[in-house]
Amino acid sequence: MKETILSVRNLKTYFFTRRGTVRAVDDVDFELKKGECLCLVGESGCGKTVTALSILGLVDRPPGRIVGGEINYDGINLVSCLPARMRQIRGREIAMIFQDAQSALNPVFTIGDQIVEQIKLHSEKSHRQAREMAIDLLKEVGIPSPDEAASYYPHQLSGGMRQRAMIAMSLSCDPRILIADEPTTAVDVTIKAQILDIFQRLKESRQISLLFITHEMGLVSEIGDRVAVMYAGKIVEIASVTELLTNPIFQHPYTSSLIKCLPGITQERERLESIPGTVPSLIDPPSGCLFHPRCAKAMAICREKEPPPVNVTKGHTVFCHLYSAQGMKK
Amino acid sequence: MTKRFGIRNLALILPALLIGLTLLLDIFVIETIVEPLVYLYIALGGIFIIYVISPLYASRRLVNYYWQRVKRNRLAVAGLGFILFLILLAIIGPFLTADPTAVSFEEKNIPPVGFTLKESIYELETGQFITRTATGDWQHPLGTDNKGRDLLAMIISGAGVSLQVGLLATGIALALGTLIGVISAYFGGKTDNILMRFTDIMMTFPFFLLLVLIVFIFGANLAIIVLVIGLTGWTGTARLIRSETLSLRTREFIMAAKALGASDGRVVLTHLVPNVISLIIVIATLSIPGVIVAEAALSFIGLGDPAVTSWGMVLRAGQQTLDTAWWVAVAPGVMLFLTVLAFNFVGDGLRDAFDPRSSL
Repeated sequence: MKETILSVRNLKTYFFTRRGTVRAVDDVDFELKKGECLCLVGESGCGKTVTALSILGLVDRPPGRIVGGEINYDGINLVSCLPARMRQIRGREIAMIFQDAQSALNPVFTIGDQIVEQIKLHSEKSHRQAREMAIDLLKEVGIPSPDEAASYYPHQLSGGMRQRAMIAMSLSCDPRILIADEPTTAVDVTIKAQILDIFQRLKESRQISLLFITHEMGLVSEIGDRVAVMYAGKIVEIASVTELLTNPIFQHPYTSSLIKCLPGITQERERLESIPGTVPSLIDPPSGCLFHPRCAKAMAICREKEPPPVNVTKGHTVFCHLYSAQGMKK
Repeated sequence: MTKRFGIRNLALILPALLIGLTLLLDIFVIETIVEPLVYLYIALGGIFIIYVISPLYASRRLVNYYWQRVKRNRLAVAGLGFILFLILLAIIGPFLTADPTAVSFEEKNIPPVGFTLKESIYELETGQFITRTATGDWQHPLGTDNKGRDLLAMIISGAGVSLQVGLLATGIALALGTLIGVISAYFGGKTDNILMRFTDIMMTFPFFLLLVLIVFIFGANLAIIVLVIGLTGWTGTARLIRSETLSLRTREFIMAAKALGASDGRVVLTHLVPNVISLIIVIATLSIPGVIVAEAALSFIGLGDPAVTSWGMVLRAGQQTLDTAWWVAVAPGVMLFLTVLAFNFVGDGLRDAFDPRSSL
């Protein structure tokens, strides 16, 4: 068993808006182990990004606030950590990659300068050393002629190059944890494969722990070691990738429908499957299991009681009455 | 603290040192005449190096690109030429011309080169009106006023005053306005509310009244006039910069900078301010003429620094002799007109060049 590097315990991040309290992240519980890639999967608006921002303490307050839970990293609880200490952790220990590199890079500086700034912010390196390091990093993420590329402005690069530059920047301080928030959404399919390759290599060469946020089940099988499926601010299932994809007997109904939505190569041309209904309002969530209004296998108990975590096999937890003691009884 | 000692740090430390030194000189060495304006020059020079010179130098390619765009606007280039000419005139001119304050009644009301003036004057000794004919010569190319002061020398001295006031007061106003605007937008909430309501109050405050009051208390001094114009003129800038920053701060690169460990101060100074620099440059060129005219107006009504010859002062002298020595009022008037026009052309040209939507 690998050691745990980051553990999120009962995390609750709420947004207090004029229309009511939005429970964007509600009682989320997971662990990230050293050198593994944990995928956080779910539809849009299910709280994946807010979970990531909560870890870095970057939830805008007001209106957002972490109302409960703990985030333990290296013996520190990041929820109650001092802002100055938090700033040191950000970037140096835990770095984040954003979805759209176009808007995540400062348009008025060259990418070389931005990486250099990042390096100098967290280390005592001279400008020349930092510059050399920046070029090495650009080479590591597979940018051709990194010397020249360092003097380009973000708008002069292609989408894939920008995303790589962003990855190079987040790697600059050799973080132990990398949070990637849908890093492949804004790029096309061929680049997507290349970027996944980069992550794969990083995991092996740097022993980096990845928290990979995505909505594509396809990517999960490609890169993930373990998966946490999120729905409406809650985790509904955590399992290893192989377990989740090959052992459908104990799957959460939501996970099964997510997988069904994938277009397959072998399939005949049919309409793509979709999950009926929409994500429930997080201001006024349904009672019991949040998924029951859209669930094909919903029972009476699902409407009344929140499903408890059920350990179906080792390391595989499902929050569903199909497998809970109470649900089985009825 | 031996790490990174770049041009930015140098630009921060050097002015601070210089100001300290000047201050010491001012306090302990009596008899030295350190003009208060010197402090402003040093401080603003530092800011100028950090935020204008060093980024321009770092991105010569981009500067070249914008220069190509500005160059296509003939009026802007002409305006820039005139401003450079004016700056040279203000720096070199005083060494080449006579003392602008030297009075000589034998040489009063001499017209510019190529003009002749016939005026009948009452002669005290004889008690008769005689007709005096004065022809302009190259000794006083622009003629003299009713006290025999050389107009060219006065215009050159006035150019220096106008440029100093224009640049320094605008510099103060922009530095303040930018800082307040960016901070207000970035922190939002209560900070925004307090700063913006303060801006509103400053906007409604009658600046002329304040100036009259301060000139009455401290006496008319160029440094005080510059400070008052600068410290009251930042409100419009603050609003413009704030609205620009409001859209910038929701951009993801601000969040990314924070996610990689940048502090609030760092985000404001190295990520937000450089992104509004193009707006600041345009505001600067468009607000300098306003300041120049404000100073001229103050001098015209007699609230200017009496120790320096400014265009407004010459204009005032000329206004009294408009029926005979018309050129005395015309010369500073034309200069004011051209200067304001030149700055406006340059400002327009820069705005068009910075606008990515324009197809220049």
